Amino acid sequence: MARAAVVGAGMTTFGVHDTPLQELFAAAALEALEDAGVETTDVEALYFGNAMGGQAENETHLGPTAASHVGLAGIPVQRYEDACATSANAFKNAVQAVDAGIHDVVLVGGVERCTPETGKDTAAMTRIFASASHRQYEQPAGLTFPGVFALLTKRHMHEYGTTEEQLAHVAVKNHGNGALNPRAHFGRETSVEEVLDSPVVADPFRLMDCCPFSDGASAVVVVADDLADSHDAPVDVAGVAQATGVVPIADKATPHVTQAARDAAAEAYEQAGARADAMDFAEVHDCFTGAEVLASEALGLVEDGRGGVAAADGRTARDGDVPINPSGGLKAKGHPIGATGTAQIVELAEHLRGEAGERQIADAERAVAHNLGGDAATTVVSVMEARP
Amino acid sequence: MSEGFTHDAWAEAVRDGRLLGATCRDCGATVGAPAAACPHCGARALAVRDLPTRGTVYTETTIEVPPAGVEERGYQVAVVDLGDTRVLGRLDDEAVTIGDDVVLAGFLDDDQGNPAPRFEAV
Ligand SMILES: [Zn+2]
Repeated sequence: MARAAVVGAGMTTFGVHDTPLQELFAAAALEALEDAGVETTDVEALYFGNAMGGQAENETHLGPTAASHVGLAGIPVQRYEDACATSANAFKNAVQAVDAGIHDVVLVGGVERCTPETGKDTAAMTRIFASASHRQYEQPAGLTFPGVFALLTKRHMHEYGTTEEQLAHVAVKNHGNGALNPRAHFGRETSVEEVLDSPVVADPFRLMDCCPFSDGASAVVVVADDLADSHDAPVDVAGVAQATGVVPIADKATPHVTQAARDAAAEAYEQAGARADAMDFAEVHDCFTGAEVLASEALGLVEDGRGGVAAADGRTARDGDVPINPSGGLKAKGHPIGATGTAQIVELAEHLRGEAGERQIADAERAVAHNLGGDAATTVVSVMEARP
Repeated sequence: MSEGFTHDAWAEAVRDGRLLGATCRDCGATVGAPAAACPHCGARALAVRDLPTRGTVYTETTIEVPPAGVEERGYQVAVVDLGDTRVLGRLDDEAVTIGDDVVLAGFLDDDQGNPAPRFEAV
C-alpha cells in the first residue's frame, strides 16, 4: 500500500524571476492545486520550504505570508530549512502526516531566489551558501560549497580513478536533457570540450561542473491513499526516508560514500519493497557533477567507484540502463535551493503519468528522487510509483 | 568528560600551535572537532587530548571563487589525516596533493575572529 499519493504538481520555470517570493510560490502552488482539482478550502496544512530568505532577502516567517497569498491563511503551516534538502524534508513530513492520518489533503512546496539578477552578487551568495558548512570548523578556512563537493569528489577520483572528463560527461548529459525541458534554466547543449575549457571554481570543478544560482518555485498536492482514486492522475509515494550524517566533513568516517544517502535509500527501498535495480530512472542532487557520481553509487544504481564510468559510457543517459536526471538535474534545470526537492517530485510525477513530453522515460513505472542538504549530511530519498 | 572540549578550548589550542581532539572511551573513535558526545556512538565519555600536528593530505581543493569576506583566491583547503582522526585546514602557496605530508604551521582568523588551522608542506 502506498503511504500517500501525489495528485497535483506544479512548478515555475527555473531561471531569473524578478517576482516577490510569495508571488513566485503562488505560481507553482496554484498550478498544483488546479492540477489536483483541489479547492483551497480542502487543503488542511501547508508544508513549506525556503532555505535562505532571511539571509538573501531579509524575509523570515514566510510560512503564513505564503499561505495568505494563496488563500490558505488559518491552516497550520510549517516552514523547513535544511539547506538544499529543504523542500524534500517538507515533502517527507507531509507524507508522514498524511500516512499517520493527521491530515488527508496537504500542499507541499518550496521557493527561493538566488540569482545575481534579482538579489545578491556571486561573492555574497557564495558566502550565504557556505553558511551550510560548519561555522567554526569549516567556514574560517574559506571553504565554499563547490569546495565541499570538490573535497568529496577528489577523494573519489583518488580511490577509483574517476576523471575530470568523466565528470564533464555528467554535465553534457544533463545539459542535453535540460534542452528538452521547457522549464530548465539552461536550455542548451554543451560538449566535453566546452566544460573542460570553462574556468576553475574549485578543482576539479569548473564553472560548467556547477549548477547555477536560480530563482523558482515548485509544489505538489499530497493526499491520503484512500482518496487518491478520486483524482485524475494519482502517483503513489511508495517510500520516503531521511537520514543524517556526521558534520563536519573531517569527522565523517568516509566522506565520499555520503552515508546519509545510503541509509535513507535503504529505508526508502525497504518501504517500497523494491530494490535499486527496480528503479526506471532517478532524479538526483547534482549540485556539482561529482555529486551526481556519488549519488548514483549511494543509491545503488551503479557499483561503487563506477559512477564516472557509467556517465561517460552513456549508461545514465535517458536511453541508458539507469537514466539519471532526465529533467536536466540541478545542473541544467537549475537550483532554486528551497524549490529543488519538490521539483524532483514534480519531475517524477510527470514521467510516471507519461506526461514528460520529449524527455519522457518510456514506460516508467517506478522512480527514485535523491535530495541532499549541506555536505550531504541531510539526505531525503523518495520512491514513487505509477498507480496500477 | 566533555566539559573541556568546547570551541573555546579548541580555538585557544589552535592559536597556541596545537590541535585538540577527543577519543571516545566507549567506541574508541577519535574526533577532531569539539562535540558534547561521540558522533559515532553517542557516548558522552570523551577524553580530550592533543592530536599530532603532522599528517598527510586526505583530500584537498583549490578555491578560485571565494566567498564575500575572503580577499585571496587560489588558496587550498585540505582535510588532513592525523592518524586516528582528520582535521580541515588551510594551505597557502603550497600546491599539495593527496598523500603529501603536511604540518601545522599557525592559523588564520576569519572576519569574526574564528581561527582555522594553517598547514604547510613538509
Ligand atoms: Zn564513540
